[in-house]
Amino acid sequence: MAKTHPAVSNGVAPRTAPDQPNAEPRLGEKERFMLLLIAPAGIVLVLFQIVPIIFGANASFRDWQLFNPAQTWVGLKHYLYILSDSTFLTVVLPNTFLLMFLSVTLSLIGGLALAHYLHRNFAGQWLMQTIILLPQMIAPVIGAMMMRWVFNDQFGVVAAFLDWVGFGPISWLAQRWPSFFIVIFTDVWIWTPWFALILLAGLRSLPREPFEAAQIDAAGAWRTFTHLTLPMLRPVIAVCVLIRSIDAFRTFDVVWILTGGGPARSTEVFSIYTYIETFVNLDFGRGSAAAIIGALIILAVAGAMYKVAGRVTDVSR
Amino acid sequence: MTALCTTRSDRPYCWTDALAPGGRRAFFWLATIAIVLLFLGPIVILVVTSLRPGWAVFYIYRGTDFTLQNYRDVLATEAVIHAFVNSFLVATLATIVSIGVTVSSGYMLSRFRGPIPRAWFGTIYVFRTVPYISWVLPLYLVCYHLGIYDTYAGILLPHIAVHICFFSWIMKGFFDGIDPSMEYAALVDGCTRWGAFLRVALPSAIPAIAALGILSWLYTWNEFLFALILTGHNTALITVTMAQFVTELGTAWNLMSAMAVMAMGPAIIITLFAQKYVVRGLRI
Repeated sequence: MAKTHPAVSNGVAPRTAPDQPNAEPRLGEKERFMLLLIAPAGIVLVLFQIVPIIFGANASFRDWQLFNPAQTWVGLKHYLYILSDSTFLTVVLPNTFLLMFLSVTLSLIGGLALAHYLHRNFAGQWLMQTIILLPQMIAPVIGAMMMRWVFNDQFGVVAAFLDWVGFGPISWLAQRWPSFFIVIFTDVWIWTPWFALILLAGLRSLPREPFEAAQIDAAGAWRTFTHLTLPMLRPVIAVCVLIRSIDAFRTFDVVWILTGGGPARSTEVFSIYTYIETFVNLDFGRGSAAAIIGALIILAVAGAMYKVAGRVTDVSR
Repeated sequence: MTALCTTRSDRPYCWTDALAPGGRRAFFWLATIAIVLLFLGPIVILVVTSLRPGWAVFYIYRGTDFTLQNYRDVLATEAVIHAFVNSFLVATLATIVSIGVTVSSGYMLSRFRGPIPRAWFGTIYVFRTVPYISWVLPLYLVCYHLGIYDTYAGILLPHIAVHICFFSWIMKGFFDGIDPSMEYAALVDGCTRWGAFLRVALPSAIPAIAALGILSWLYTWNEFLFALILTGHNTALITVTMAQFVTELGTAWNLMSAMAVMAMGPAIIITLFAQKYVVRGLRI
């Protein structure tokens, strides 16, 4: 008894021998409470994200055709194939990062403009906010279908407008860059409202005094915006850009519905490439390798962005 | 001076003040028209398309024949009804469970410091970053081997898993906004840690949680990739059924639009009647 509980060992000064447990166990009541709080979330995370990722990592080293029981170990073959696949290197990766960059930049600019528009209180403000919010609320699949219909080269409203203006029909979805333009347009259409509402909340939380001072100093609207609003919104913008960039990297539904990666694989992005390798070419090994390469790329990119964002603001708050 | 142009009197400076009053009003109206055209335009076109008979659908801006036949046709398709029921069930169940699971995790992140919260936050950050396809793809095989492919469990559990990282993060923000001194007082008065969490902190977070719940429901309702990979005939969800309208029938824009309009219903209702919650839940 005395050995295990030095604190109660009949009057002798308590000492903590290195081989004896401390008076307070390592996993205290507080730590147990903390672990219990995250246990349900942790279990779901392990079972449905971490286990599949390990499973996929295993498959990526094997010759794993779907519904073919022989799963021979082939080492890095799939990785080498993808990293030397010209489609992946010259089409998929540039498309993915171009979509990520353009979608985030344009939605940020649009969002800033709409946030300023909504920031003034006017009678129809609620109605306009409703209209602006709608693209974010409806399913991206529906948004993409709408845009496909609007930009239909024969019967779409845009085609009718171009015809009326005097331009010939543009077969939007039959060429690479027009298709890609529509993909970006749709993505920006869906995500600008998200930026707008978050930035609007940011604008509303800014202190009023600096703007009054700027007005007294007769600073113009543009100078006020670049020298006051933007610097003060920087933390919000950094978090928005970080979150949205990560999400834009994995864009799937908009591209899938609008172009399906076509014409001739020219608008494929990372998620589409992985999906096609797996479920169209039915090569699970190669698809898994692509999935893991993509995950590693975005983890590296996000890590770098996180560092930059951390310099601008404390993202974790 | 119309009511639309009245600026709030207590706000001293607005960016449009740089323009002359007339120009300001013109600029404002132009912006309003552009926003309505851009953001509402495609939705209106879809709704109008859904109301045109099949033969008039290609020139929706010509003619005035309108019909509800498309909706009747779509609702007569058993697969569509089935998909709506499935989507509703999956969205509702996934929301309830994922909110229930992440409340405590967010609370932990907000209230404690030290290695455990730091490790958990790191895990969340990493798995929030991993693209969906990187774990849904192998999850397809896992589900297949477990025999839950094309069952409710098979589509429900990943939908719960996908919310864990982001919701824990957002919940942390909610709890950060609640003053912990009440919980400390409760602890001093002899309340257990669970009591402080469930009876003191949780009730104050309910409005924020409701906001997140609405968004979560809508995200699940709108989700496409999981539904595409992890569902078959039994558990087909609306987004995939809708996408099939495009490929299988090719030109059946009227039917597809009718289904899309119905699938947009919840989004529109929520935007109109629960906008306050949506805006609150979107905050990061």
